[in-house]
Amino acid sequence: MSTSTHAAPTATRRGPFAELFLGGGRARRVTWLLVGVIVLVSAVRVISGEQALTSSSTFAAALLLTVPLALAGLGGLFAERAGVINIGLDGMMILGTWGAGYGGYQWGWGGALAVGILMGALGGLLHAVATVGFGVDHTISGVAINILAAGVVRFLSESLYTDNPAGGGPTQSPALSSRPPTVSLPVLSSGPDLLGDLEAKRWFLLSDVAGLLRGLTNDVGVLTIVAVLLIPLTFLLLWRTAFGLRLRSCGENPAAADSLGVPVYRLKYLAVIVSGALAGMGGVFLVFIANIYREGQTNGRGYIGLAALIFGNWRPGGLAAGAGLFGFSDALQLRSRTAVVALLLLVAVLLAGVAAYQAYRGRVLQAGLAGAFAVASLVAYVLIDELPPGIVSFTPHLTTLLVLSLASQRLRPPKADGLVYRRGEH
Amino acid sequence: MRRVRGMKAAALLLAGSVALAGCASDSDDAGSGASGSAESGDLKIGLAYDTGGRGDKSFNDSAYAGVEAAIADVGGTVQEASPNADASDRADLLTQLADQGYNPVIAVGFAYSDVIGEVAEQYPDVTFAQVDGSVDDAGNPDNMTGLLFAANQGSFLGGVAAALKSETGQVGFVGGVETPLIQSFQAGYEAGAKAVKPDIVVTSQYISPAGDFSGFNDPARGQIVAQGIYDGGADIVYAAAGGSGIGVFQAAVASGKRAIGVDSDQYESVDDPALQPVIMTSVLKRVDLAVQAFITDFADGSVEGGTDVVNDLSTDGVGLATSGGFIEDIQSQIDDYKQQIIDGEITVPE
Repeated sequence: MSTSTHAAPTATRRGPFAELFLGGGRARRVTWLLVGVIVLVSAVRVISGEQALTSSSTFAAALLLTVPLALAGLGGLFAERAGVINIGLDGMMILGTWGAGYGGYQWGWGGALAVGILMGALGGLLHAVATVGFGVDHTISGVAINILAAGVVRFLSESLYTDNPAGGGPTQSPALSSRPPTVSLPVLSSGPDLLGDLEAKRWFLLSDVAGLLRGLTNDVGVLTIVAVLLIPLTFLLLWRTAFGLRLRSCGENPAAADSLGVPVYRLKYLAVIVSGALAGMGGVFLVFIANIYREGQTNGRGYIGLAALIFGNWRPGGLAAGAGLFGFSDALQLRSRTAVVALLLLVAVLLAGVAAYQAYRGRVLQAGLAGAFAVASLVAYVLIDELPPGIVSFTPHLTTLLVLSLASQRLRPPKADGLVYRRGEH
Repeated sequence: MRRVRGMKAAALLLAGSVALAGCASDSDDAGSGASGSAESGDLKIGLAYDTGGRGDKSFNDSAYAGVEAAIADVGGTVQEASPNADASDRADLLTQLADQGYNPVIAVGFAYSDVIGEVAEQYPDVTFAQVDGSVDDAGNPDNMTGLLFAANQGSFLGGVAAALKSETGQVGFVGGVETPLIQSFQAGYEAGAKAVKPDIVVTSQYISPAGDFSGFNDPARGQIVAQGIYDGGADIVYAAAGGSGIGVFQAAVASGKRAIGVDSDQYESVDDPALQPVIMTSVLKRVDLAVQAFITDFADGSVEGGTDVVNDLSTDGVGLATSGGFIEDIQSQIDDYKQQIIDGEITVPE
């Protein structure tokens, strides 16, 4: 601890221009970053002529792909912030899909949501009993749950859907008896559809923003809205309430928390059950898309949600960004193969920016490398008309990797994440 | 600390036994299936399913229907086996069935191509058959028969129906996984559409590339791909995408357009009344007829082995479903094209 009195955190002196961008703390910087990304993508759209890059349908598809990842990631956030690694997210998601199919064909979409969340929470409870109650290694319990879930849903389907007059079979449920309602923003994205008109004009920036807003507000399902709201709500709950502080203290230093009277075991149980419920909700979302449960519907999305969590440095905003990035690039490659080539231009511009920044900081090697890759991407953009499908479908993974390596962020997991806590032994 | 370790061991044991129990239930099921079947005749048929197993309302069920029909004819029992979730135990399934004395052993799905050749060589006295897999791909074992389908011919008729019914002059194709098998669906479909309207625009896209089989079971991504094609102006999309097809149908409902199913009569099997009106027809693959014929031949002792049996339009091994009556008005034109293919006047690309 420094005792000097003149160590007040005076910011390095900046001109008024730099102050506009860098001052004002995190929130302002993030806002500028977002604005910058939108301007950049918009410019790339105009230059490359790839309208799919910012069309409302691409954003709508991106939202569809992002929500299950974000829900799984949120589930992971709760568990890991309380110090329990949850590899079993995918299994809990599988339980959620099955529950949604079972509840949905009997009681409609509300029943699907309820049973799906319940099944996910049961998966979470099992994980909590194993890891918190019995002190099983978190990874082993999680993997066991993934295996168990796949077997349990097959068993349940076989016993409940075989010869069921409503339909279904060992690998799928009958169709949901009612669909969840969808809403559109009146006037702006439905009815007169002002945003749609603006998007069709193909103006620089304005049409792109309109596409983004329309994609996020036109024909949106109830569960999507809930999922989007859950991101800020989770932040408020975990970082702005006493409950959240206690829960996070279980993941940072459970012994200290325990000594201060925090009910560590109870909070860990609660966190992992909520974790399962959220993952189950992600499964319900998948069932809502198809309106039916199908075995293997999750396709490993639980794991990607977990990756989004780590990508986002164990924070709700970060994991939403990670899931969104993955969802957007996935949507883009599914909707337009040629638009993926335009991403190369985007990469070239971004890397050129990195090169300029590193040169400014006097790091010759980094600047040279970034510059070389920028030129390579630019050349690739000019020369390539359409990428081979194998690479195109790998776009989301590549993009995520690229952003991770560029951002070179200092990831910091909760300090006691994955450690078994036994009262009185630490 | 000792107590903790004991707990750990107990929990591990618990988790392990649960996982094992999961495995056990499968073989139990298969066992009860065998004992539950008719016991007449000496024929012991082993049936190894593709991912999804029985109840997929598609080719696995179709294969089972074929076996049942054959048993009704010539007698015998059947033992079923389903691969695990990641389908890594395909070779084990075949080995087990052959070990337990089942003969013939029928594998359903092209994914068995990697393993069936080796197993067939280990059991020279057992006769194998593979639905959707050629003897050539399996390494030419002479105790195996490939049950192939001219999927391109059925898809050609699908393309004909799409082109005749399209009002926008634009149709689409969604493939599950970009494998040679699905590519032949695409080739046939495109050729069929172009045969009717040479200037028709066919937009084709796959959900996942070769090697990543998630494309056969991801309705969400199927819907997004199909929605993109519908948004692009197509009004009929052919879904050769297995379980992802249901996403294509959802996209058709959402955009008020139509779709074509695959393998089984999906109008009947889709399980969702809301989706039925958009399923114009389905390109059928009569796995049941092929399997039944193979077993009957085997009972007669007329299976040669080492050759492929191709089921095509001439044997009605492929065709179009008519449920829903959406293609009644163009049936005669479809039959025309069918006859031309059978007569060899039209050669359908693979």
